[in-house]
Amino acid sequence: MGEVSEELKQKILEYLKTVSKAKNRDIARALNEDKHLVDKAIGELSKEGKIEYIFLGTSFVKIKE
Amino acid sequence: MESETPLLDELEKGRWPSFVKEIKRAAKKNKAALDLLRVEELSYKDKITHWKHGGIVGVTGYGGGVIGRYCDKPEEYPEVAAFHTFRVNHPAGWFYKTEALRKICDIWEKYGSGMTNFHGSTGDIILLGAKTENLQPCFNELTEAGFDLGGSGSGLRTISGCVGPARCEWATIDTLDITYDLTMEFQDEIHRPRWPYKFKIKISGCPNDCVAAIARADFTIIGTWRDSIRIDQEAVREYVKNGFDIETVVRKCPTEAISWDEKNKVLNFVPEDCTRCMHCINKMPKAIRPGTEGGATILVGGKAPILKGAYLSWVIVPFMKMEPPYSEVKSLLRKIWDWWDEHGRTRERLAELIERLSFARFLKDMGLPVQPQMVFRPRSNPYVFFRR
Repeated sequence: MGEVSEELKQKILEYLKTVSKAKNRDIARALNEDKHLVDKAIGELSKEGKIEYIFLGTSFVKIKE
Repeated sequence: MESETPLLDELEKGRWPSFVKEIKRAAKKNKAALDLLRVEELSYKDKITHWKHGGIVGVTGYGGGVIGRYCDKPEEYPEVAAFHTFRVNHPAGWFYKTEALRKICDIWEKYGSGMTNFHGSTGDIILLGAKTENLQPCFNELTEAGFDLGGSGSGLRTISGCVGPARCEWATIDTLDITYDLTMEFQDEIHRPRWPYKFKIKISGCPNDCVAAIARADFTIIGTWRDSIRIDQEAVREYVKNGFDIETVVRKCPTEAISWDEKNKVLNFVPEDCTRCMHCINKMPKAIRPGTEGGATILVGGKAPILKGAYLSWVIVPFMKMEPPYSEVKSLLRKIWDWWDEHGRTRERLAELIERLSFARFLKDMGLPVQPQMVFRPRSNPYVFFRR
């Protein structure tokens, strides 16, 4: 698996601004990016405090309020 | 004085240790344990459970690891109105220092009921009974003490393996290192359930499969060897000289790979016929040993009966080298998860999805070559009992 670029993280944040919540898989599909790289980027964004996980039967992510 | 729990008391009368006795001991210093006894008694009396399993509880950033549990009579039993379970990720091989155990127990007496279950069927340390408001502080202290939560819900469950090379001479792979490495690699998948259903990985160091990985895991790693078993003919003769019935080994070899030459006192062996069942090794451990070229067989599909019946795992990779950083196995896991996540229905286990879409389709999508060892669901029912 490659390294996560700042550009990818930015793209994820931009996408999340357009939806209330999203699953990793849907983000990867919407951005046409590798799912594993998106998983990793989301993990990093969470550690940076920019997004948060929510659990409604399954996991979603959203922009941290 | 008349007992408050006459029905539960019956369970203390058997030959075996009783959980009732232990809960009674806990009840001497914990009100929740006392209420638990009372509500259990009511459940026995009413012949229905007074517990609700599930509901959303959790700690910051984690979707797995805490299982919500509520009583349907909160006014009558306030101490157990919420009685949530913590699943704590166990160390590989379940080795602890007493210091670590004391830490867990101290934290649990502070925030929970004090009752534990070492270990749950998934392998985790189970801490039984916490109030909702205690979840976050308990988690915080567990984290500070070096413990992490395990998996629950529709995500990767805590990975577990046998004690492997730490205590067993038959291990052909380092189960402890693999368990630890995969746990570190896939922490996100453990903490944030986002798949169709649960997914279990279990690792056994040799085909004896002491952790029953074949029956209990969606993804099973079982230590094996690629070369031939090692036979010490002198030690075999010693067994025979001491009255050991060599025929019990020869006759029970499932593929007739071994035969006993009585005249020359030699145990003949055909390596290509060996299925590595371990029977001869178990019967004659001083004379027969596994081969030296260790690795693992990868299987998929083991599960208990929930949507469909119970399945035993079946082989998808007959032999894989297992050396750090275990890239091959990690890559295969990711591929399988993507496929399952893409095609699986809610609460559909991997084995059920493979059955629905076909094993051939699975192999093709995984890029795995078809091999003779891949017997799809070789025996579907693990609950087989042999009559004497």
